[in-house]
Amino acid sequence: MSEVILKGIKKIYDGDVTAVHDVNIHIKDKEFIVLVGPSGCGKSTTLRMVAGLEDISDGELYIDGKLCNDVEPKDRDIAMVFQSYALYPHMTVRDNLGFALKLKKVPKAEIKRKVEEVARVLDITQYLDRKPKALSGGQRQRVAIGRAMVRDPKVFLMDEPLSNLDAKLRNQMRAEIIKLRSRINTTFMYVTHDQTEAMTLGDRIVIMKDGFVNQIGTPQELFGKPVNLFVAGFIGMPVMNFFAGCNLLLEGGKYYAEIRNVKFELDEFQQKALKSRNQKPCEIICGIRPQHITVGEGELSAKVEVSELLGTEFNLHARSGDDEVVMVIPTMDLNTDVSMGANIKFTVQPKLIQLFDKETKNNLIWYDPVSAKANAPECARY
Amino acid sequence: MKQNKLSYKIQQYLLFGGPGTALFLAVVIVPFIYGLYLTLTSWDGVSAVKPFVGFQNFVEAFSDGDYWAAMGRTVIYSIFAVVFINILAFGLAYLVTQGIKGQNFFRAGFFVPNLIGGIVLGYVWKFVFNRAFVAIFNSTSLLSTTEGAMFCLILVSVWQYAGYMMLIYVAGFMSVSKDVEEASRIDGCTSAQAMKNVTIPLMRSSFVQCIFLSITRCFVVYDVNLSLTNGEPFKSSTMAAMHVYNQAFTYKNYGLGQSEAVILFLVCAIVGVTQVLIGKRGEVEA
Ligand SMILES: Nc1ncnc2c1ncn2[C@@H]1O[C@H](COP(=O)(O)OP(=O)(O)OP(=O)(O)O)[C@@H](O)[C@H]1O
Ligand SMILES: [Mg+2]
Repeated sequence: MSEVILKGIKKIYDGDVTAVHDVNIHIKDKEFIVLVGPSGCGKSTTLRMVAGLEDISDGELYIDGKLCNDVEPKDRDIAMVFQSYALYPHMTVRDNLGFALKLKKVPKAEIKRKVEEVARVLDITQYLDRKPKALSGGQRQRVAIGRAMVRDPKVFLMDEPLSNLDAKLRNQMRAEIIKLRSRINTTFMYVTHDQTEAMTLGDRIVIMKDGFVNQIGTPQELFGKPVNLFVAGFIGMPVMNFFAGCNLLLEGGKYYAEIRNVKFELDEFQQKALKSRNQKPCEIICGIRPQHITVGEGELSAKVEVSELLGTEFNLHARSGDDEVVMVIPTMDLNTDVSMGANIKFTVQPKLIQLFDKETKNNLIWYDPVSAKANAPECARY
Repeated sequence: MKQNKLSYKIQQYLLFGGPGTALFLAVVIVPFIYGLYLTLTSWDGVSAVKPFVGFQNFVEAFSDGDYWAAMGRTVIYSIFAVVFINILAFGLAYLVTQGIKGQNFFRAGFFVPNLIGGIVLGYVWKFVFNRAFVAIFNSTSLLSTTEGAMFCLILVSVWQYAGYMMLIYVAGFMSVSKDVEEASRIDGCTSAQAMKNVTIPLMRSSFVQCIFLSITRCFVVYDVNLSLTNGEPFKSSTMAAMHVYNQAFTYKNYGLGQSEAVILFLVCAIVGVTQVLIGKRGEVEA
């Protein structure tokens, strides 16, 4: 059992910079949690507080049921992989891997056995007697992961472990981490600013911005049920299209989203959700994912400005009124002219339209004040 | 190609390296070689004639009891001074890299003794030992006893050089990656273990530099020696360099003094270089 519970965790640097506001995360045993967010949002700070490298200004941190606010890093039984790898340059790979065990006074023979096993798993056996300087970036990365693996820690912390690698190696190592995870089966906390990593690795993802947690959920939830404009824009490639100046209408007991004076009757579940919270008609921002747009027939029109053929699909950058609209259109069965300068018609299924309040930027359907309060009371701010 | 011609290379060398080389030759190499030549003469330091005597001066130097006694004292003095200078400097450097308030002020403060210069420092401390301490503790001056004089000499040298070496150690501390130190703490080190297993090994080059600098400085100590004790009492605090000076200029045995200086140079160079070679072995570039 190694649950990690962050309860109202806060970090204030030097008495005035608040880097992390009131973070509440309940990480279940053996769960893989990914922290994502733009640069400077407090991901590393949060992770370092769990590691014990940074004092916790306020709130409570429980690891495995034990209050750990004032426990030294060495006594927390955690392992951490640093972005810079942080290998000991004066030790061989073997000594790097075995250092933690040596400190724990594990018998020499057992250290040797464990180190060699980890080296075999990570495929670094032939480098065991080299110094880190004589390794490539990817090999150093493996050593850094190996150093954490030999310890069998309660919690495995990783701070952007792949960001110093080139794209190809990064994909490869990402797959390695997925394999690693199935093998060592412990609780992971992983920081990244790459949403692909977040979506592929995480059981649940924590989206942070400016020190606030905006949403915690599975990749599917974040993709399909973003609670606010920020989450919607952050998750998904290409970025979700936002149509400003739309209206939510209520006519004859039914809600409609009005985009560019075209009315879309909303789906059953949207109707229900809006009714249950007694939503008044208002100005809204509509979000539509590029993949959800269908071209050909439709009520909306646009003029293609850039058309990129990416094999199985087209990326279209089109102009519709004042908005630039990005669309991802499968090439299969496409019988519309989407070349540059073409005028196209497009539409979207109403159930795929995300509705955001123009004032609060919160999702009218998915934003839940109660769970938002549990995550972070002030996360409502965009 | 014009660039590959020897004449072109020479011309370029003279243009860029020439002035520096000429200066170095004029003020270091030529005097050094001329000094070597003087060891083979019985010149008295003033007269126009420099009679050639072969290796006579070296024979005499090896049988000069006072000189070897001074050399022995220098070795003892150097051992103590080097050890304490480096311990103190390392400790100070540790303190002023922990992010305490006003640490730049402290760094500058600890460095100041090094700026004062040995002669002035010697006189200042002489006053402290002979007047201030005597008045406060109502005792005889430390400088009036054999061991006391040596002790004072070591103390003042430590005080003088620790701040300077501290700067090198500070640079060493700052060059140790914070991540690596943090990784060691997560791996289970207490701060003492992190210091021993990670920080100190990674600062090895700072130790090599500081020990080399302090050895070479202590071996040729003269200014503090002159102003603080002037070799007293009973010549018991005369260091090798002071003996050499007296031999050459007070007793007017320039040739002999010069050959003793050459021996001192060799001893100092051998100790210093050996230390560097041993220290460099196993040093890592992070
Ligand atoms: N030692 C410090 N003193 C003061 N402010 C700090 C300190 N360390 C970080 N901060 C601030 O805290 C905020 C969060 O920093 P943090 O390193 O956690 O960001 P991050 O989410 O990891 O960003 P990145 O993706 O760039 O690594 C930033 O605004 C940063 O400027
Ligand atoms: Mg970071």
